[in-house]
Amino acid sequence: MKLNGLSVDQAPPIAAPLRFFLTAPLFGIIAGILILLSNSHTLMSRYSVDAIIVTHAITIGVFAFVMFGALTQMLPVLAGAKIDRVKGITFFSYLMLTSGLLAMIIGLKFSIEVLTTYAYIGIGSGFLTMVIAIVYAMRNVNNFTATIKGMLASLLFAFFIGCMGIFLLYEYATNSISQYHYLIADIHSVWAIFGFAGLLIIGVAFQVLPMFYVAPKFKQFCKKRVVLLISSGLLIWLFLNQFYEQYELVAKIWIALFFWAFATTVWLKFNKRKRPISDVTVWYWRASSIFLTLGSFLWIFDEFFKHEYIVMVGILIGGGFILSIMIGMLYKILPFLVWFHLNAMGYMKIPTINEMIDKGLAKVQFTLLMLSLIGFIFAFYIPQLLAVSAIYFIISMALLEYNILGPLFIYRATKKKKPDFDMSVFNMEGVK
Amino acid sequence: MSSIKEYLTNDHRKCDEIFAKMEEEAGSSLESARTLAQEFVTDMQHHFAMEEQVMFPEFEKKTGMTQGPTEMMRQEHAQMRSLLLQLMSAIDEKNSDRFFGTSETLMILLQQHNMKEEQMLYPMAQQHLSAESDRIVSTMDSLIVE
Repeated sequence: MKLNGLSVDQAPPIAAPLRFFLTAPLFGIIAGILILLSNSHTLMSRYSVDAIIVTHAITIGVFAFVMFGALTQMLPVLAGAKIDRVKGITFFSYLMLTSGLLAMIIGLKFSIEVLTTYAYIGIGSGFLTMVIAIVYAMRNVNNFTATIKGMLASLLFAFFIGCMGIFLLYEYATNSISQYHYLIADIHSVWAIFGFAGLLIIGVAFQVLPMFYVAPKFKQFCKKRVVLLISSGLLIWLFLNQFYEQYELVAKIWIALFFWAFATTVWLKFNKRKRPISDVTVWYWRASSIFLTLGSFLWIFDEFFKHEYIVMVGILIGGGFILSIMIGMLYKILPFLVWFHLNAMGYMKIPTINEMIDKGLAKVQFTLLMLSLIGFIFAFYIPQLLAVSAIYFIISMALLEYNILGPLFIYRATKKKKPDFDMSVFNMEGVK
Repeated sequence: MSSIKEYLTNDHRKCDEIFAKMEEEAGSSLESARTLAQEFVTDMQHHFAMEEQVMFPEFEKKTGMTQGPTEMMRQEHAQMRSLLLQLMSAIDEKNSDRFFGTSETLMILLQQHNMKEEQMLYPMAQQHLSAESDRIVSTMDSLIVE
């Protein structure tokens, strides 16, 4: 049995996950600016260049960055596995993803071929390196819990969407849009949202909800079957979409129902949690349940309206469900990460987790994000709302950056002092 | 009789529940949470003692691993003991922010510690000590912490 998760050097260097976490809101700001510079008519078309770059600034720049950071950090704890050469691999991947994504945004926006070419090399290598490194690290896991199965399934989808993404961007770069382009783009987006992000969130929720909120555990059926059922739903959807398009809806209903069931389960688990503390992370989980429910139903509804509402589905599920959970997780993980690393160095008098992030500002950030998401949805009917919603979104992302930089400043300031090794732990008289 | 894994895992859940009650009570007033906080600290101490005085030495004797997983778990116990002290001082100082900040930190540390034990160390211990499982559980159960 591998003992990586229990060894003294279990945790990756703090910079490895932090780099990803701290960059994510910056891409959120870029996405907001891109929305501000665009207009609702263009963004309503999912294949417009503006829609593609905004989507990827968020899905890669925010979602994938947070997920890769979290996986780097949580792998030793959840799976007892450690990425080999974690420092070098995460740095390389970060560099390639950041430069590649910036190149994609500028290259597609201003039709600069050399940048778009660099983009598929950069994003492709950065993304696949991380996915392969994490899957490889999981090779020796003995105890395959529901969470690890969810992670693995999610990473397999990530591998395929990465390959498809490279192909799609290659076609843009070479200006050779093939007949398969839109079909692959469709699979790429559905698998990215429900396969990569969706399954990872579900897998992690199995562990995180009972852990952080002392919520009731998920039922064995959920833990044993849901990941498999959704994964097979996504494969069946691919098959029907390709060969029997008239039955595609059946697979969509299958997938949407499980996600809706997940959203409802999360909501009920929070109602029954034994730890009644309500903070902004609980608000984010609650919001994500509502958005996911609406998004799942609209995804089915959209089928009867010639995909007129697909962008709205994207806002509800991408912005409302995935982004909400990502931010909620950031607020939990980041302060703990700083506390954990400082404590391990021997610093005992460290600000507590709650003192590292201003709760009031976190709530303002949450409110602004919710307002912006609702505004984006209604901009469908009232185009004038787009600009003000984009501004809310930009401020919300800037506030998020400020909020998560707080723990980093504390980390730096504390490290300048000498560690105050606390010997009181050897004498527990004080707590009796 | 339950296995080592089941017995210690159930004890984790028991501590979680007292922790949740303590936090809920502290929401109304810190002073009224004092009794539950003391109960939580006592239960945590008892859990640490069952592992450090009974299960870990048995595991180390059987496997010869004295500097491995058990040592790491001892270090994390020390981190948690420090937070337990801070939790009680926050009640003494009537500092609600510090109390909830410490309880949040403790909760996350505790949960990731539990996860490592439940998913890695306990299954290993059960595997190596299955023949002596009943005796070890019974010794842990009757352990009195001074």
